[in-house]
Amino acid sequence: MLDLLVIGAGLTGLFAAYAAARAGLRVRVIAKGMGATHWHAGTIDLLGYLPGEQKPVADWVEAVPELPAAHPYRNLGVDAIRTAMVEFQRLVAGAGLPYESAAAGPWFAGVAGGSGEQDGRNSMLISPVGAPRPVYLAPAAQQPANLADTRPMVIVGLTGMPDFYPTLIAENLCRQGHRARGATVPLDKLTARRDNSPLQLARLFDEPAAQARLAEMVADVAAGERVGLPAVLGLHRHARTCAHLQEATGARAFFEIPTLPPSVPGLRLDTALRESLAGQGVRVETGMEACGFGTDGRRIEWVESETGSRPLRHSARNFLLATGGILGGGIHGDRCGRVREVVFDLPLTAPQARSQWLRPLFLDSRGHPVFQCGVAVDARCQPLDESGAPVYDNLWAAGAVLAHTDPIRERSREGIAIATGYAAAAAVARDVSPPPAADN
Amino acid sequence: MRRLEAEILVIGGGATGTGVAWDAALRGFRTVLVERRDLTHGTTGRYHGLLHSGARYVLKDPDSAVECSGENSILRRTHTHCIEDTGGFFVVTPEDEKDYPDRFAAACLRHGIPCEELSAAAALRREPLLNPGISRVFEVPDAAADSFLATHATAQAASQAGAQLLPYHELVGLQISGAEGSRAVTGATVVDAVSGEEVRIDADLVINAAGAWAGRVAALADIEVRMILGRGVMLATNTRLTNTVINRCKMPGDGDILVPIHTVSVIGTTDEQVNQPEDLRVEAWEVDLMLAEGDKLVPGLSRSRILRAWAGVRPLYQDNFSGESRDATRSTALLDHAKRDGIGGFLTITGGKWTTFRRMAESAVDAACAQLGVSRPCRTADTFVPGVEQGHYWLGHRLEEIEENRLQAELVCECELVTRSMLENAVRRNPTVTLDDLRRDVRLGMGPCQGGFCTYRAVGILHQMRAAGETGPQEPAAPPGAAEWEVDSLQSPARSENVAPARASAGPVQVPPGEAPQVSAAIDPQAAVSQPNLLLRDFLQERWKGVAPILWGQQLRQERLDELIYLSILNADHLPGQEEESPMSGFYRLNSED
Repeated sequence: MLDLLVIGAGLTGLFAAYAAARAGLRVRVIAKGMGATHWHAGTIDLLGYLPGEQKPVADWVEAVPELPAAHPYRNLGVDAIRTAMVEFQRLVAGAGLPYESAAAGPWFAGVAGGSGEQDGRNSMLISPVGAPRPVYLAPAAQQPANLADTRPMVIVGLTGMPDFYPTLIAENLCRQGHRARGATVPLDKLTARRDNSPLQLARLFDEPAAQARLAEMVADVAAGERVGLPAVLGLHRHARTCAHLQEATGARAFFEIPTLPPSVPGLRLDTALRESLAGQGVRVETGMEACGFGTDGRRIEWVESETGSRPLRHSARNFLLATGGILGGGIHGDRCGRVREVVFDLPLTAPQARSQWLRPLFLDSRGHPVFQCGVAVDARCQPLDESGAPVYDNLWAAGAVLAHTDPIRERSREGIAIATGYAAAAAVARDVSPPPAADN
Repeated sequence: MRRLEAEILVIGGGATGTGVAWDAALRGFRTVLVERRDLTHGTTGRYHGLLHSGARYVLKDPDSAVECSGENSILRRTHTHCIEDTGGFFVVTPEDEKDYPDRFAAACLRHGIPCEELSAAAALRREPLLNPGISRVFEVPDAAADSFLATHATAQAASQAGAQLLPYHELVGLQISGAEGSRAVTGATVVDAVSGEEVRIDADLVINAAGAWAGRVAALADIEVRMILGRGVMLATNTRLTNTVINRCKMPGDGDILVPIHTVSVIGTTDEQVNQPEDLRVEAWEVDLMLAEGDKLVPGLSRSRILRAWAGVRPLYQDNFSGESRDATRSTALLDHAKRDGIGGFLTITGGKWTTFRRMAESAVDAACAQLGVSRPCRTADTFVPGVEQGHYWLGHRLEEIEENRLQAELVCECELVTRSMLENAVRRNPTVTLDDLRRDVRLGMGPCQGGFCTYRAVGILHQMRAAGETGPQEPAAPPGAAEWEVDSLQSPARSENVAPARASAGPVQVPPGEAPQVSAAIDPQAAVSQPNLLLRDFLQERWKGVAPILWGQQLRQERLDELIYLSILNADHLPGQEEESPMSGFYRLNSED
């Protein structure tokens, strides 16, 4: 019998499964698809903006208490978030994809503004249109994009790549007082292929010959500046690609700027998570959309999934709902204005009518009410009914399916996923084997 | 203040106004056209795309039907490539009255509209998604028309015939001279919406072709023209549900037309009388009604993914009319204000259908000839606009050209198959101020993601062109002197690839003496509207406006992905220049106060 069946293979589900497995539980993940990790930038955005505010959050440790009382972060508390982040960093470091606070990474020591110690400080990295992105943890290749570093930058694009515009990025950086210029290197010197999607390019830069050629060309256009490149520096051999570039360009700092989906840094993170889970012996089964469940009183007995040929029943002691929000597919809104949690039909906090779902301005900083709907949970991450009691004794929920947060507006997507996923896994572990049974 | 002179000044850059400019220029008049926004920004660009055979109005409004029928065959010749020869069905659903079909068929015969009954089974074989309960089907020569392309092609033809077309020039005043009893309109003052510059245009005659805004234009001469404004709402589905235009065989009503146009099907329309030409709201009940009525034509239509909803305002006119706009005539109204109001040199042409725009233009210019005391025959019925040699439009043409020329890697908009050179070509060869103008040119952002991926790319490409104009004399942002309105290659990936100046080798383009270089404001480094952040914000809001009324299910999910892209990844709401405004920003926010 499984201790925990995780439904959903996004960052929430995979990280929760990892945390639960590390705590000694028998875990399996079922999911409809691949999750949405590879749609985002591959950074860990913990809390970039407080609701309705234009000014970015400088330090999330200080900002979390200012969130509405029902927000998942308030529910967990700062210490629990911090613990989850440390665990996450341990996972990715073990997978060869280290993440650190861009305000504290080793590259930044000695640079003006670098504190050298990890705290809750966000860094401003660079978006693919040259706007600042408030980020807490970043993979090594993105950390040197930190805008607190005042050294001049050259943003280098590849001709014909439709998803990267170096002069646009540079112009917007300059408008914000940074020193930047754009440059382009010819892609046709690297490959005869004309398919230049980020993914295709990342695969290209897994090859040593392409790495060497790119390093030469970058060294030609960069006049001692920091170098910003599109996030295509290798998919499976990313670390080696970076090392190669570092070596070939001398000590010059270079960094990746994320691109439109599918995001190569997101894919790398997804791969790191899946490999770590495989190492823990956890199976992740995709193509299994949860489509039904059975109960015995207030306990869920099994969840049924669609597979290629027939429905399959998954029994477990506990179930973690990590199907995501409207984007991930865990919540569906219909024409009649009903929003529905798709697996267990859990109660949702949601605007009553479709006329209240949206605001007239797309970029309204308050966000659109429909995207804030979700499942309300207690301090143990258990979904609650209207009376405030857990709906089922052995059901847990985490990630973007939760209520009282709009992770995309807040730029808290990965923070919510990791912190609540970890907290839910820990709560299940306590339930299954009361402390101090769990050991590391 | 700039000054221009014209024999005929046309107000309004919709189908009718552009048609008037074409007709007048072909008859040898020095012609200027002013339009306050982009060509087709008004009702022309907001209609469902049905080229009427006339059958729809054959019982209700036979004059209009006969007009449509004649124009249908002419436009198939003069604007071939703007038309997809879909054919049209009139279908009798179980809800439709039983005696209408026979009266309908008899009236088609009487008025010379080709109409052939086929069996319901045969119709269902051609259109399997049609309501299987239909009892009778009539086939007529309806077709689907690209009103953006057709108007642009007409504009190019007008420009080649010598007309000067000035989009983004807003009329602010009419000059009236002469003593009481012999007063006449002798010109107009317009403001360049991009630069803010005033332009005075002296003209022998002014033709008001402002459509739904015609009443406002006439008011500038203290003339009352009471337009009957009928707002119609339309929805686009994310795939084509049929390949034939489908009409209900009944008296025209709400939601009884389904038009396959390019990659989508459009269901329309409502008819709500409104007071303002910019009352383009889409009410929830109108969406529900369209879906409910659509289900009667194609069962399940209401469960298909809806991409967008929008409204257009019909510019109807009928003397002393006091009913509902649905019942107002669709016939053309030509008002000679000399006879009607005692003010010479001023005509208003309104009413009508998109299908009859050429005919309307003809009658307006005939009246202009009469007033100017010259006799010059109309030539538009026998003149082809540039591009007709491409033959009728067919849905696969972009894909075929992209595959044959291996242009897959050049795609900027995967939904609508827009390549980089199509975008560059469009912005170089016809005046462009916003990304929405490019949408009308090449269908940028009209597919399922509604600009999710292509907005960013288009902004990046335009910024590259703008930067090249600043620093690279070898590659001017827009080739100076490249004729405006070179639109015959707009829709074609292969032709765009060939006409776009080769990036490395293009020599300086020859500027014809005396002709100022025409640069699209969107890539003009001197123009405030070329700010990339402004282009981006404007287009995101423009797209949002049309998806908001229909966001549910998968399209709601799609918009959440677009939020992920523009908020989380790009952080587009924290770019510099939040205060920048284009001439269109306010319109995109219209009805947005909450």
